[in-house]
Amino acid sequence: MLLFATRRFGLALLILIVAVTAMFLMIRAVPGDPVQIMLGPRATPELQARLTAELALDQPIWKQLLIFYGNLMQGDLGIDVFSGRSVTEIVFQQLPHTLWLILSSITWSAALGIALGAYAAAHPNTLIDRVTAAISVSFVAAPAFVVALLSLLIFAVNLQWFPAIGAGEGFWGRLNHLVLPAFAIGLSWVGYIARLVRASMLEVMGESHIRTARAFGINERRVVMVYALRIAILPVVTVIGVGMGFLLSSAVFAEIVFARPGLGKLVIDSITTRNYPIVMGSVLISTGLFVVSTALADLINAWLDPRARTAI
Amino acid sequence: MKRKSWQRNGLKPFRAGFCELILREDTMKIEWTKAPVGRRKFLKGATALGAAAALPGSLASRAFAADDGVLRVRAYGDAQNMDPAHSVGVVEEEVHASIYNKLIQYKPGREWDWQLDAAAMIEQADPTHVKFALRDDIGFTNGFGAMTAEDVKFSFERIIADATESPNKPDMGPLSHVEVTGEREGTIVLNEPFAPLWSIALPYITGNIVSKAAVEAAGGRIGADPVAESGPYLRASWEPKAKTTLKRNPDWKGEAPAWDTIEILPIDDENTAEIAFEAGELDFTRVSLGSVERYRAGVPNGGTLLEYPSLYYAWLGMNLDHPKLQNKKLRQAIQHAIDVPTVLEAAYFGAVEPSTGIIAPGLAGNRANSLIPPQADFEKAAALLAESGETNVTLKLDTLNKTTFTTAAQVIQATLAQIGITVEVNVLESGAFWASADNEDLQLVLNRYSMTPDPYYATSWFTTEQVGHWNWERFSNEEFDKIHADAYQETDLVKRGEMYQRAQDLMEESGAYRFLTHEATPVIHSAKVVPALRPDGLALLRYFGKA
Repeated sequence: MLLFATRRFGLALLILIVAVTAMFLMIRAVPGDPVQIMLGPRATPELQARLTAELALDQPIWKQLLIFYGNLMQGDLGIDVFSGRSVTEIVFQQLPHTLWLILSSITWSAALGIALGAYAAAHPNTLIDRVTAAISVSFVAAPAFVVALLSLLIFAVNLQWFPAIGAGEGFWGRLNHLVLPAFAIGLSWVGYIARLVRASMLEVMGESHIRTARAFGINERRVVMVYALRIAILPVVTVIGVGMGFLLSSAVFAEIVFARPGLGKLVIDSITTRNYPIVMGSVLISTGLFVVSTALADLINAWLDPRARTAI
Repeated sequence: MKRKSWQRNGLKPFRAGFCELILREDTMKIEWTKAPVGRRKFLKGATALGAAAALPGSLASRAFAADDGVLRVRAYGDAQNMDPAHSVGVVEEEVHASIYNKLIQYKPGREWDWQLDAAAMIEQADPTHVKFALRDDIGFTNGFGAMTAEDVKFSFERIIADATESPNKPDMGPLSHVEVTGEREGTIVLNEPFAPLWSIALPYITGNIVSKAAVEAAGGRIGADPVAESGPYLRASWEPKAKTTLKRNPDWKGEAPAWDTIEILPIDDENTAEIAFEAGELDFTRVSLGSVERYRAGVPNGGTLLEYPSLYYAWLGMNLDHPKLQNKKLRQAIQHAIDVPTVLEAAYFGAVEPSTGIIAPGLAGNRANSLIPPQADFEKAAALLAESGETNVTLKLDTLNKTTFTTAAQVIQATLAQIGITVEVNVLESGAFWASADNEDLQLVLNRYSMTPDPYYATSWFTTEQVGHWNWERFSNEEFDKIHADAYQETDLVKRGEMYQRAQDLMEESGAYRFLTHEATPVIHSAKVVPALRPDGLALLRYFGKA
């Protein structure tokens, strides 16, 4: 297990380096003079020259990359051009908002998705199963931005149950402000997880240990909820790990539509203004999040299922 | 050898897949191979967590209730820098204008005017000297004492100092220095007359007075946090990308502001801001032009729609240096073939008026009419095209990737097709678009510049000196350059206006410009607010009142 974990995190580090390097090169391939865009039309030539030198934009790309990684090794992500604040401080100020959004989305969608999937699997080919399937597929098919806007209009404007914008203050305030965005980006995951659990459950229900459990006369509900679901839930762990990446991208529009702070909005704003230090800091952290979450999902899977340890 | 729990209990394992099924006589349990307790606990915990999350909480209550004394307004960006010398525009100025003081401030209303702020007296002694006396009741926070003429001198002179590298230096124009003649008296000395001193330099970004002692103690530069404030409000907190909170300054001796607290929420998307307003979470916001018609029929929650003109100017430009656009008759044909009302109806939902140039109504130099009427004259355009001798004309039109501009570009594409000119619309992301000065193949461009309330600011981007920077049409005209250089020194308003009108005639006569609109600033406010707005609809937060 230790060897597996070592290899998995080694791979994660490699993925992180490749992704960050790719982003570094891509942002520099975008047309437009970043210094001119960052500083605006009225910046003095002296200021433009100083910023160009500070960001090492007058150096060849390979050298810029080396400088970036050199600074990174020292924990230095640079300074924001506009506010003069440390990029690390800015990124880590936004990170909790995105993390809470992602975690709350995946938590509620996993809980409901598992329940729906298990219920459908326990009643295969019945009307309930078909209705559950229809609901699940509808959830998967519902575009998140449409759900976001509709939920805003219904629950924030008409019913005024939940706030429309912002991140809130205090624990309950923040939780309250999470409801609609988490609902919007988690809804399609409900359907996806439900279908996954149903398929997995049906497979497990055919296993011999379930037959044995039934032969022992154990209550069917207990067979489904305890013996079958515990095994069938395993693929969900992997899906959630990979899903973190998708949820990170969904968080971008949620942060815009719900005017929430967060990493996604920070990245979009920074790319538009060519604020390279912030872009790279945000990309590093969000890529790191994705890589670590998938690695953790693999480790949990390997922990739960020893056969998975040979995968790497 | 350590025995497993089921072995100690005398049970036998039954292998099933990757788990071991432990059979017990009274009940049956599934245990996994290796670390059985940890995995089970994990799965139990995960299931419990999921179930807990699925439970309906007690959150379905009214999410938000507006508190009296708190004014919530929307800004389109986040105010990140508290140094007026490095302010990047309106978003930061909204905060600066509330926490700092200027000698004079813009006066809320429909016409451009100013009123005294930190100055008890200010007068133009002669064309290059402005005398002022400060009020004696304004102090800085954090123990930095009363505001003095030394603070004014320091604030203005640091804007023009090379070491400050202020992008706002041009706003101070030909400022030479400030003479301190008393503790609270001084004279602003200009190298030459500068009319925009009263419309831009003093009442806008560069006019903010900071504490000399505080800034010097901070090493000469203010960052994300103010080092000392003096205005009717203090910046109480800033949550980046989330909220800036202003609180009433307890030591403010001037007229008390109406609101205890102002929350400025950075909301980029106007549609989101509209939803937030309708949900009761905002008291004041600019709205999209597409929503104006709906709000004209009624603003929810007893709110009010106010429609203000804007100072922005949008136009179609033609690159005079491009080989395809050397023929003036062709350029004139394009000018006459663009039907401005149709463009505005499609792209701006008919909520804006056609413009006559780059200087908006209300400012000196605004033209009552453009040389070419806004309506297209296809017959004249076709005749001009025939006279030009150009055939099979195909041109590229660059535009920003915003719906308004892409729609306008498509309408222009359609109207130019009527006289046989083929237009390819090239949609660009903002970074690439604003780098168009470097684009040698730039042909037609749909553009929009922001503006301050003085015509000097508008003409400054179209001088020969700006070719290769912001003068993308590469328009170069000696008379225009001279007007720009002379007009800002002209203190006779009528004469000055005529000069700028002539400058716009020259632009239009070159055939490089088809002026479209100054856009508009529609805003909505809740019933509890009496907004205080500049004539272009921008908020002067410190003057906002209660209904």
